[in-house]
Amino acid sequence: MSSIDRRNFLKTLTAAAGASVLSIPKAWSASAIKARVVVIGGGFGGATAARYLRMLDPGIEVTLIERGTRYTSCPLSNEVLSGSRDIKSLQAGYQGLARRGVQVVHNEVTQVDPVGKKVSTAEGNSFSYDALVMAPGVDFDYGAFKGLTAELSETRLPHAWKAGPQTLLLKQQLEDMPDGGRFIIVVPKGPFRCPPGPYERAAQVAMYCQHHGKKKSKILILDSNDSFSKRPLFEEAWKALYGYGQGGMIEWVAAANGGKVEEVNPSAMTCLNGFDEFKGNVINIIPPHRAGKIARDAGLANFKDAWCAVKPENMESTAHKDVYVIGDACVGGDLAGNNAFPKSAHMANSQAKIVAASLVAKINGMPQPTPVYTNTCYSVVAHDWGFSVVHLFRVENGQWVYIKEGSGISPVTFGTKEAPRPVPRIYRKMEVDYADGWLRNILSDGFS
Amino acid sequence: MRRIFLVLALVCLSFAAQARTDVTILARTCNNCHGVGGVSAGASMPSIGGLQRDYLRRVMKQWKYDERSAITMSRIVKGFSDDEIDALADYFAKQPWTPVVQKTSPEAMDKGLATVSKICTDCHGKAGSDPDVDAPNLNGQWARYMELELEKYRSGEFKMPHRKMKKAIHEASPADAAAAARYFGAQSK
Repeated sequence: MSSIDRRNFLKTLTAAAGASVLSIPKAWSASAIKARVVVIGGGFGGATAARYLRMLDPGIEVTLIERGTRYTSCPLSNEVLSGSRDIKSLQAGYQGLARRGVQVVHNEVTQVDPVGKKVSTAEGNSFSYDALVMAPGVDFDYGAFKGLTAELSETRLPHAWKAGPQTLLLKQQLEDMPDGGRFIIVVPKGPFRCPPGPYERAAQVAMYCQHHGKKKSKILILDSNDSFSKRPLFEEAWKALYGYGQGGMIEWVAAANGGKVEEVNPSAMTCLNGFDEFKGNVINIIPPHRAGKIARDAGLANFKDAWCAVKPENMESTAHKDVYVIGDACVGGDLAGNNAFPKSAHMANSQAKIVAASLVAKINGMPQPTPVYTNTCYSVVAHDWGFSVVHLFRVENGQWVYIKEGSGISPVTFGTKEAPRPVPRIYRKMEVDYADGWLRNILSDGFS
Repeated sequence: MRRIFLVLALVCLSFAAQARTDVTILARTCNNCHGVGGVSAGASMPSIGGLQRDYLRRVMKQWKYDERSAITMSRIVKGFSDDEIDALADYFAKQPWTPVVQKTSPEAMDKGLATVSKICTDCHGKAGSDPDVDAPNLNGQWARYMELELEKYRSGEFKMPHRKMKKAIHEASPADAAAAARYFGAQSK
C-alpha cells in the first residue's frame, strides 16, 4: 500500500466503506458530491449503470431519467404469449434504485447538449452532468415496410418487440385466432434486439396452439435474413415438438427464398414480398431497428447512421466526450469477425458495469480497469425445453476480441462426429429452470 | 472497531486485486446469474459467495477441462485462464456465506432430516453449514438448484466426478433427495 498516496487512499476508503459496510449520512453525502452522472433510460443497461455507480461510490450523484414507472423485461416475454408466464413476473420498479440514492426522474428527455453537458426534459427541467450514460434502447423504423405505421403496431399489427401492452395485445390476437389459422412473424433485417427472439416466439406460439385446440394452425416466419441465432437448436426443437417445414406447424422462409417482406396490407391482412402475397390471421410484424431517437438527435448514431459507435475500453461514444452509450443502441464487439455484441439484456448489463467501473476509477483518480464483456441468453421453446448461448469479449490493444473458447451455444449433439446422438432431454429441461433463475438475478442486479 | 478493520481489509483486498487482472471486474460478470456478492436471487441458480475456495477452484477447473458436466458454466469458464479461475474462487470464498432461508412444511423437514442424517451429514455437516474442506455449504442454498444438481447425479447423463456423491445419490429415492434439498434450503446457520 506504500505507493498509494494518502488522498487516493482516503477516497478508496470512502468508496469501499460506502459500498460494503456503512451507510453515508445524507447531509454528508450531499455536501461531498464528487461528480454528477445522468443516466438516460431505465432498462437493463441504464438501471444497472445507475445501481453500480451508487454501489461503488456513493459520493457520485446519479440521476436516472426514464419515461415509465415500471419496467417489463423483454427476455422471456415470449412465454407470456403461451400463457406459461405472467407478465408481472417480468416487471420491476425503480424503488430499489431510489433507496440507493439514485434520483429517479420519470420524464421524457427532449434534448441532450453534449457540448454544454446538459440534458433537458419535457417538463422543462435541465440536468447538468459530468458524465452522461445513454441507454435509450431502440426505435422502430416503421417506414421500412410500406403500409405500416406506429399506430397500426399498437392496434392491428403489434410488433410486441418492447414488452408490455403489445405483448398482451398479441396474446389476445393469438387466443382469438381460429384453429387452422395462420400466425405470421415478420423478421426485420438484422441487427435487431434479441437475435433469437422471433424463433423462440414461433415455438411459444406453436406450444400455445398445441395445448389450446388449435393444432391445425400454422406459424409462418418471413425472414429478411438468410440464417438466424441458435439455428440448429431451434430447428431440432421445432422438428421434435411442433413439426417443421413441409406439413409441420412451423415454417421458416429465408430472405433468399422470398421471406423478405416489403409491404403490409392491414385491411386484407396480407404481407407482400414483391411477388407473393401471404395472408395471416395474425401478423406480428417487427420493424427494423435503430438507436433510440434521443441518441440519434444528439449526434451519437455515427455508425451507418443508425447505431452509436463506442470505445472498447469503456463504452464512451466516439462522437462525444463524456457520453457513454450502452445497450441496444450501441454497436460493439468484433465487427470484422462477424461477432458483434448481440443486442441483449445481459450485454447491456455487462456494458453498464464496465461504464460504472470506468467512471468510478476516473472520478477517483484511479487507474482504468481492464474490461471484460459477457453475455448469456436463454431461449425457452416449450415448458420443458430450453437452450442458451454465451459470449465473452475482451479488449486487447484497444480492440474488442471475441473469445471463442468462452462462447457458444448449448450442445447440438452428443457422441462423436461419426456417430452423433441426440442431447439428452434433461439438458434441455434444465435450461428452462436456468432461464428463470437468470431472469430473477439479472432483474435484481439492475433494479434492487 | 470491527467495522473499521473490515473496511481496511476490503481496501487492502481491492489494491491487491488491482495489481493483476482486476478480479472485481471479472466477479461482476457473475452477478447477473449468481447475485451481487454471490447471493443468488433465483431458485435455479446457486449462491456462490462464501463457498469454500478449494471447492470453487475444483469445480470450475473440472468444467473447464471437461472433467465435469455443466450446461452453461462449462462453456463460460473455458474463456478464463486458470489464474483467473483461482482469483475468482478466492474472491467468492472471501464473501460471507449468506443463507437464503426457504421455509418448508414440518413434514418435509422431518423427511429431509431423515435422509440428511443417513447420507449427507458426514461431508456437509448436519445443517449443511459445516462442510468438509472441498464440499459446498448447503444451509440456505437454493433448494431448487440442489434438486437439479441431484438430478444430474442420478440421471447418468452428466459427467459428475465426485465418487461419494455418485454413490450417495442412489441411497436415496428421488422424493427423499428432494426433501433433503428442501431441508438444507430451510437452514439458516
